Amino acid sequence: MKKLNLRLFRLLKNSKGQFIAVTAVIIIGLLIYTSMNMAHINLKSTVNYYYDKTNFSDIFVQVSKIPKKEVDKLNKLPQINKAEGRIVYDVPLKVDKGREKVKVRVISIPENNQVNSLYMIEGQGIENKNKDVLVLEQFTKARGLNIEDNIVPQMGGKQYSLNIKGIVASPEYVYLMENEQTLLPQPDKFGVIYISEELAMDSMGFTNSYNEVVVKVNQGTDVEEVKEILENRLDKFGVKRIYTKDEQLSNRMITEEIEGLKKTSSSVPLVFLFVAAVIIAVILSRMVKNDRTSIGVLKALGYKNSDIILHYMKYSILIGLVGSIFGITLGILLSGYMTKMYIQFFNIPMLRVKFYYSYMISAIFISVLFCMTAGLWGTRKILKIVPAESMRPEPPKSGTRIFLEKIGVIWDRLSFSWKMVFRNIFRNKKRFIFISFGIALTFSVIFLPLNSMDAIVSIFYDHYGEFQTMDYNITFTKPLNERVLTDIKNIVDVEKIEPKIEYPFRITNGHREKVVNIIGLKENTSFYNFNNIKDQKINLPSSGIILSEGLANYLDVKVGDMVKIENFIPEKEDIYIEVKDIVRQSLGINGYMNIDYMRDKLTDEEMITGVYLDSDDRVKIKLDDAKQISSIQSLQDMREVFNEFLDLTIYSISITVLFGGILGFAIIYTSTSLGISERRLEFSSLRVMGFSKNDIYNLITRENIFMTILGILLGIPLGKYMIVFLEKNFSTEIYTLYIKTSLLTYVETILLTIFFIVLAQLATFKKINKLDFIEALKSRIT
Amino acid sequence: MQNNALMKIRDISKEYQMGEVKVKALQDVSFDIQEGEFVVILGPSGSGKSTLLNIIGGMDTPDNGKVFLRDLEITKFNDKKLTKYRREKIGFVFQFYNLMANLTAKENVELATEICKDSLDVNQVLEDVGLSDRKNHFPSQMSGGEQQRVAIARAVAKNPLLLLCDEPTGALDYKTGISILSLLNRVNKQYGKTVVVITHNAAIANMADKVVRMRSGKIIKIEHNDSPVAPERIEW
Repeated sequence: MKKLNLRLFRLLKNSKGQFIAVTAVIIIGLLIYTSMNMAHINLKSTVNYYYDKTNFSDIFVQVSKIPKKEVDKLNKLPQINKAEGRIVYDVPLKVDKGREKVKVRVISIPENNQVNSLYMIEGQGIENKNKDVLVLEQFTKARGLNIEDNIVPQMGGKQYSLNIKGIVASPEYVYLMENEQTLLPQPDKFGVIYISEELAMDSMGFTNSYNEVVVKVNQGTDVEEVKEILENRLDKFGVKRIYTKDEQLSNRMITEEIEGLKKTSSSVPLVFLFVAAVIIAVILSRMVKNDRTSIGVLKALGYKNSDIILHYMKYSILIGLVGSIFGITLGILLSGYMTKMYIQFFNIPMLRVKFYYSYMISAIFISVLFCMTAGLWGTRKILKIVPAESMRPEPPKSGTRIFLEKIGVIWDRLSFSWKMVFRNIFRNKKRFIFISFGIALTFSVIFLPLNSMDAIVSIFYDHYGEFQTMDYNITFTKPLNERVLTDIKNIVDVEKIEPKIEYPFRITNGHREKVVNIIGLKENTSFYNFNNIKDQKINLPSSGIILSEGLANYLDVKVGDMVKIENFIPEKEDIYIEVKDIVRQSLGINGYMNIDYMRDKLTDEEMITGVYLDSDDRVKIKLDDAKQISSIQSLQDMREVFNEFLDLTIYSISITVLFGGILGFAIIYTSTSLGISERRLEFSSLRVMGFSKNDIYNLITRENIFMTILGILLGIPLGKYMIVFLEKNFSTEIYTLYIKTSLLTYVETILLTIFFIVLAQLATFKKINKLDFIEALKSRIT
Repeated sequence: MQNNALMKIRDISKEYQMGEVKVKALQDVSFDIQEGEFVVILGPSGSGKSTLLNIIGGMDTPDNGKVFLRDLEITKFNDKKLTKYRREKIGFVFQFYNLMANLTAKENVELATEICKDSLDVNQVLEDVGLSDRKNHFPSQMSGGEQQRVAIARAVAKNPLLLLCDEPTGALDYKTGISILSLLNRVNKQYGKTVVVITHNAAIANMADKVVRMRSGKIIKIEHNDSPVAPERIEW
């Protein structure tokens, strides 16, 4: 081995702690980079492959009723590759345990199903058209159903005992959620089943007609264009809702997850690499400073500047390479695991995992680039070292008075040790700033995941409990007359009950449009608390519409703007309505109107689509048999589901906190241990003068306490800034983040930060213990 | 310039900025070094002798004046050429040895020879300086005298034209100092190397072929010694 390399190798051996600490930061950065990028691309290609194989439809049209022959006509349109009609109904499923309310979405499949074709996981297709049923895998798993089991859906008011012939997966339900408001899948409460067209037509009263059309457009055709054509053509059949693949719930959820992965993979690793680069630059510049004489000797021996720079650069390049190798390897392992986890979570029955060398190469490239830049920065002073000068001892640092000394009031009261602490701090401003900033960064990296925990909790509790306060949200199978309220009151003992209308409309502002549910509520509803975007409480206006913030942002409307509301109810006109206010809503996007105003403008007199109610009665059991009720959503159930989900989240948040901790540890550890090796002479002199080891620990501890306090003070605004960034970038159509940091989160973050600092400090104390002060005073060269 | 001296130093001047004061380190210094000579530059500290040595060794450049290695004017060299000059022609020995702490004796010598074309056999040189059984020790495991021997071996093994020694005995006790001087003497005689030693110790001048006496940046006297004393007989 070249002797210079040997020197470097031994140098590394003597300071392996630092090396490991920095490398760990790089490893984490690249681990996140490779795993998330690969998981992102694998998930994306798997989903696309799945969609491709199953011919996932581009457009979904929900109508009141469309005759079969009209659908056949659609197939003659040049833009359309294939259009299929089907009957879709959400119906109750009879289950043994009487109190449980289980719902299934019944979907008819034609004999030669081409669009949204099913992927057979077990069993076979429908043979007996009147008896056989195919069931979505998630539902069978959650309910423990097997082939040849019987299920009893209640279709068109009649119970049908059906035989499970096959277990299937569908591209439409990779993420099984009933609707936008559900937030989380509840596969044991909501499932999807597929029956023959004949049975669906019979049972639901659709003779030779359908209530939904799914369309696959020809390649190269503009989906929006076809959507418009369909809208016009099918208007007479009572279009309730028309939406594209991009708006389809399951696809949207998975797309958002994929996008989230991409966002994380392109931002978080940079923070880690940047921190590592700064640490490397600091380590190297300190090393060069300490090795001034050695560098002089090397120059005297005839080594070129480039040789010497390369010698030190190898340190940073080595970190980059070792970091890449471990980071990428671990990242690949993790990406495989993550992809599998996602595929399972999203119920995709196939997997397309490819090995993307490009990410490996770009990971190595990025890390080496960061390390090289850091290396060049750290070693730039080598050029300035003149060999002859470097042999002379450095002139002592000018010991001018520090700023604090000028304030006699404070200075005079400080003890000698504190005076030393402050002098050290003020005379090494760079080191001081570096460490404080490092602590600030650690604080915010820990703060962020703890806050996202807060955010997840608050998304939920803000929506269910603060925003909506009803115990039960009951939806009917079809619009009913308001008189039904009396019937419900007769069955269950209610504290409060209010009618609601919840119906989809298309809201348009200029070029932007969105199909959303507009909810009609009583004038002084006690089940909703509306807060405007300034977080002030407002009442539901008697006329006009209020929009949730996410919807208003999407449509780009302000208070006072007029929006066009297109009605899907046949024979109703489109109207313009004024936006009276914009309100906060963390989950989903909606519009809200006064129920009387809504009936007047958009729907029928006295019509309601459901009720909200508060009750201590056993509502679910008592209303179980009510034929006209499609769903009963209770706050209690929602909370239980959510808590389960939260347990999973805590796991991933802990990992993020750990990553933040490693970052902090690396910063504090390297800077403190650099400080110690640089101050060997100083500490040795103190030891000779009679300071004990403890006195020196105290000195360093006090310095660190001061810097920790400052770092945390700096970290709070930094963390808050990051949260604003998080709110902006990670809010989606489905949920809007409103992060309110609780005091507890601050305390937790501070404690965790201190914990990692103390850990790092304990590790450096070993160095002081090993400090041979006589040797340190004698030797002057490394 | 029709003499065949190895080095010709002509009218060298050098000023330093030391903090707030300007120090005239060298003023119009001229002398020759003949091939194979043992030269001692003698002067009190601050007389400019180290600066002179650094300029001769291509580690520093003068403000005025010229330095020639035979016909080559090294004061005209750029950084790259100076590095090559140091690499191939010069061997340095420093007062504080300046060995690399985490390399063994042998590795320290190899550090120097690795970049030279005509280096000598490292083991042989180490044996010649009397360290063949200590060659795998690290500097911290060696005495000052031993470390200085390594430093000399490091300089000699490069097979340079000129060996420049800056107070080589300055940090050593008398006995060790003498042994180092006798080693340098042997290098001069046995390997035929031109040796320049700077020192403030007048006694050492007795072993030189030529003594250059300096004071306050100037040469005050150049003496030729026709019968140098063996180092073992020097006393101080």
